[in-house]
Amino acid sequence: MGTVEGEGAKRAEDACPEERLIRKMFSSYYRSAHFEAPQIEKREFGFGGWEKKIEFRHIKAKSEAELRGRLVSEAPLYVSYSVAYYEFPDARPMVRKNWLSADLVFDLDAPQHTCGKFTCAECFEKVRQEAIRLIEDFLVPDFGFSRGEISVNFSGSRGYHLHIRSQSIQRLDREARREIADYICGVGVSFERFFWTEGKKLFGPTPSDGGYGGKFARAFMERLGDDEFCLSISRRLKSREEKDRLASSIMQGNWDSIGIAARERKLREKFEQMRLGMAGKIDANVTADISKLIRMPGSLHGGSGFAAVPVRSLEGFEPMRHAAVFLDGELRVKVAERVPALEVAGVRFGPLEQGECATLPMACAMYLLCKKAAVVA
Amino acid sequence: MPFDLAFCSRYPFSPQARQYVEQAGLSLTASVVEKAEARLRLALESGRIKKVADLPDAWQEELAVYACARMIASAANNRYLIGRYAVAEAKRAGEYLAIDDSVRQDYVEAVAEGFGIAFQKEGRQYSIPFWQYLAFTPRSYDYKLSNRQLKGGLVKVSRHERLRILEEAVRKRMEATLPIKAEFPAEVKEAAGRLLALLPRLEPISSNVGQENYPPCIRKMIEDLSLSLNLPHTGRVALAIYLVNAGLPQERIVEYFRHAPDFSEKTTTYQIEYIRRRKYSMPSCQTMDSYGLCVADCRCGNPLRFRDRIHGAILRRLEAERKGKE
Ligand SMILES: [Zn+2]
Repeated sequence: MGTVEGEGAKRAEDACPEERLIRKMFSSYYRSAHFEAPQIEKREFGFGGWEKKIEFRHIKAKSEAELRGRLVSEAPLYVSYSVAYYEFPDARPMVRKNWLSADLVFDLDAPQHTCGKFTCAECFEKVRQEAIRLIEDFLVPDFGFSRGEISVNFSGSRGYHLHIRSQSIQRLDREARREIADYICGVGVSFERFFWTEGKKLFGPTPSDGGYGGKFARAFMERLGDDEFCLSISRRLKSREEKDRLASSIMQGNWDSIGIAARERKLREKFEQMRLGMAGKIDANVTADISKLIRMPGSLHGGSGFAAVPVRSLEGFEPMRHAAVFLDGELRVKVAERVPALEVAGVRFGPLEQGECATLPMACAMYLLCKKAAVVA
Repeated sequence: MPFDLAFCSRYPFSPQARQYVEQAGLSLTASVVEKAEARLRLALESGRIKKVADLPDAWQEELAVYACARMIASAANNRYLIGRYAVAEAKRAGEYLAIDDSVRQDYVEAVAEGFGIAFQKEGRQYSIPFWQYLAFTPRSYDYKLSNRQLKGGLVKVSRHERLRILEEAVRKRMEATLPIKAEFPAEVKEAAGRLLALLPRLEPISSNVGQENYPPCIRKMIEDLSLSLNLPHTGRVALAIYLVNAGLPQERIVEYFRHAPDFSEKTTTYQIEYIRRRKYSMPSCQTMDSYGLCVADCRCGNPLRFRDRIHGAILRRLEAERKGKE
């Protein structure tokens, strides 16, 4: 792959001082960094630079040492690996690689928000909650994965990647993976599939059922504690006894014990309003893509300077604190745009106005340089 | 399960049957070859395989006939033939499974076990690990995972669906294990030759006018289809979008899909109509490559642009030639 290195070297000459500094820091990080790339010799790698997150792909690394050597010498700003395992990871076009299998991955990103590129703590908190929901409400109870099978990884930027490397899912094709994503998002869920009438009675799911029927029954039972919710269904639910009667009949799958007017329409409305799925929270295309290049766990993100660290526990994980890596030294920078008050690696700084100069701890300075919000002063 | 010749003859693809054949050996008598050829011909023509009399004498022969049919199919080495044959063997197994489901549950369980599918009985229903469910069910509204009871990694299926799943497993196993690479006796090769002569004529498709202007990826998909290689869903959609955009009439597009092993005129017509109505846009070369459909670095950005590119090149060349003459 001489061409890639050649181009990398040529680029280094006309790189701006910021890029040169970042690459120098990244290179030193990769000397001793821990990264996770199981079966490294079967994966395709992609490297990114100042302008593009994937500039070079179809890269193969025979061993961890070989990859480390390239990361130290080329210091790419982004490092991705394929979720797929191939016989010939560097062959092209794709069909020549000979796809063998692939990890199952989920990609969660913080929602769009006024914080823009300086992702705020609330946004990080929201996406952390969604990741927990994906694991605790879907992957573990529905799909039966153990928590140990799910590797959670900070994406390095605005969210999380979940990697499942179990044997059972390795050979699933694109369409099967799309089904999994659709299930999690609630795509194609239809009320009729969970409710039916026998005679005049309406039957439906019980709280112990699997799938969306059970999810709805459980959510519905929980909401029976909410008076406003009850009233929107039937005036009868004002009474404690009627409420108990309905609840205990739902336990048996009978949704018709108290005579609700227009019951089907109302239940259907609730079913749709409750948003039991995670539509818009995970990127279904990433899950379905059996040759996706995704941030390598343990690599650095050139748009933040953070490491895409493996997250042992989502409990209490704060990216701005726990994913910062350049903890030594400081750097004087000149801010190129308004920077809000931030906290990186436990150090509060800002707000800073455009044109303002400041000497900042290295982690904070790297964050601003990578965001292209500051230049070396 | 103790050894059982009746089971083996009904389910000749099972590990038990294979083991039996390995130990007992096979004699390729003229009668066996003849019956095997008939089995394939019927599969080819009607998509079915006849059940034989349920007698101990017939059991052993049935195993030999099955093994010989696989040899003939391999000698023919034609994807369309193998695809049709796999569907027919699966249907045959499905018919036996439906019978055994009420009288010989242990047979059904043994078939499932042979595929490593772990069904569990839950009341009147069964459950199956979700990854096996996804591997052996069609992607359709009825089987949409979102509408299924999924709990602890298990999907609930009905008694009937359990049999459908096994049938699909048979089809996939047949497709994956054929053709066998070996040198076959002359009478097997002759039978294969006679069957190949029965195959629908494929030439008219590949000599369609204008096809030389199609980009390599599209030509490859058309070629695969005409060889009855199974094209993934994404490929079928991409091909249909391309052909719709190339301005081909409905019937012509349907023709391209006619040799798919699971071709259904109704479904295909509906899907093409749908693509036409919804004005699906052609996936870019990059997307095609990520689907594993790109076969050449033609660098046209989008398969639809390939035509303009080569036409453009020809035009420019003609122009240059004309200028040269002047
Ligand atoms: Zn925010």
